[in-house]
Amino acid sequence: MMIHETSYLFEDLTLDLDHLSSMLGYPGGLLPEPFNFYLEQAVSDAPSLCNIKGAWILKENMEFSGDRTLISIDGIEFGIGKTVTHELRNSSAAVFFICTAGEKISRRSQELLMSENPVLGYVFDLLGSMIVESATDELQAEIKKMAQSQGMNITNRYSPGYCKWNVADQHKLFSFFPTECCGIRLTDSALMHPIKSVSGIIGVGEQVQYRDYMCALCNQVDCILRNHHNRLK
Amino acid sequence: MEELLSKLAECVEFGKINIASPYPPQMKGQEGADEITRKALDQGVHPQDILSKGLMPGMERIGIKFRENKVFVPQVLMSAKAMSTAMIHLKPHFLSGAAKQKGTFIIGTVQGDLHDIGKNLVSMMVEGNGYNVVDLGTDVASDKFIAAIKEHPGAFVGLSALLTTTMASMEKITKDIKAALPDTVVTIGGAPVNNDFCQKIGADCYSPDPQGIVEFLNSKVA
Repeated sequence: MMIHETSYLFEDLTLDLDHLSSMLGYPGGLLPEPFNFYLEQAVSDAPSLCNIKGAWILKENMEFSGDRTLISIDGIEFGIGKTVTHELRNSSAAVFFICTAGEKISRRSQELLMSENPVLGYVFDLLGSMIVESATDELQAEIKKMAQSQGMNITNRYSPGYCKWNVADQHKLFSFFPTECCGIRLTDSALMHPIKSVSGIIGVGEQVQYRDYMCALCNQVDCILRNHHNRLK
Repeated sequence: MEELLSKLAECVEFGKINIASPYPPQMKGQEGADEITRKALDQGVHPQDILSKGLMPGMERIGIKFRENKVFVPQVLMSAKAMSTAMIHLKPHFLSGAAKQKGTFIIGTVQGDLHDIGKNLVSMMVEGNGYNVVDLGTDVASDKFIAAIKEHPGAFVGLSALLTTTMASMEKITKDIKAALPDTVVTIGGAPVNNDFCQKIGADCYSPDPQGIVEFLNSKVA
């Protein structure tokens, strides 16, 4: 199967800065000084700090296990858990994807967090998360277009480490991609480098339905996607 | 003196660093932790009182607000900055022995994990509540923790992890520390861990928020 690789410019992305303001503690975008300047600076610096890349691969012949917690693709078993299995249940194929905002924005955030201005570092950290999620929205839209061209639909996207899908399965997911595809490396503990990277699965099939995230089912209470309205609906 | 210490606590609680800082908006143009700490020292307020009656109550209040989701990470970071600015003036007094901290807290994100925002928040909150903090950073192995404990006998330890895959590392480090230095008190925190896991691996305290760690440490030094 062919791997589809793509890259995005910061300017290509739709960023919900009101949501970012909310995550800084100021809903409605009414950021006081100096937070407003920090956000302006981060947004202004971001284009030169981003190296946004994504890749995906379509895998057919997905099999579900009897206990509704496992799927098997190319003989590789993924322990995706009951929640994700339920969401993928009518899929005839799966797309695995990876996406990253690049190394520099994480590094800038880390440096600032350890410096005299940790709040600015935190703003860069949140912006980096938002950039990679927005880029993954774009990737998902591309996957949806491919599916629709074949008369199929897609599910929402799900990632190892969420909804009780064991994060160790990252290694199996990354085995479908060449080493350091998009510049993403995986540590032994399944941590992606650059930190601002996302990986996951999307179900594809004629009978699948796209459903919003049901955050109450997930144990990641500090997830950036929680309460985030998905524009791809 | 009471008024100065009360004002200092307010500066830390609301993250007012110095007079030039525009934050928080309601205190714009007012003196901050920097100026008030200097003023208190100039007026002969004992450094220990500045720490325990000014700075620490402010950090405690912001810690409780954070636990109750009344403030967010940036507000805590601003408070920590106000606190650390004040501490610059107090440091010589700690070194001379005129003022004492409650103990030493060695903290690090466990081997295999590089997440550090949660660890940094705990670090700042514990420091702001009167402890000397030794931050070993991220991806820290057992031997580094053990070496630091040997360097700071009686120190408390804090282990942080964000990934389920690094919970095993947290377990190993806890067991290695307990095997090498059985009396060491180990606290744990991070998104994937809970109290059951804490008990299973033989750690002494789990808290979902920084203030819980502070309260546990305070109970140990009381």
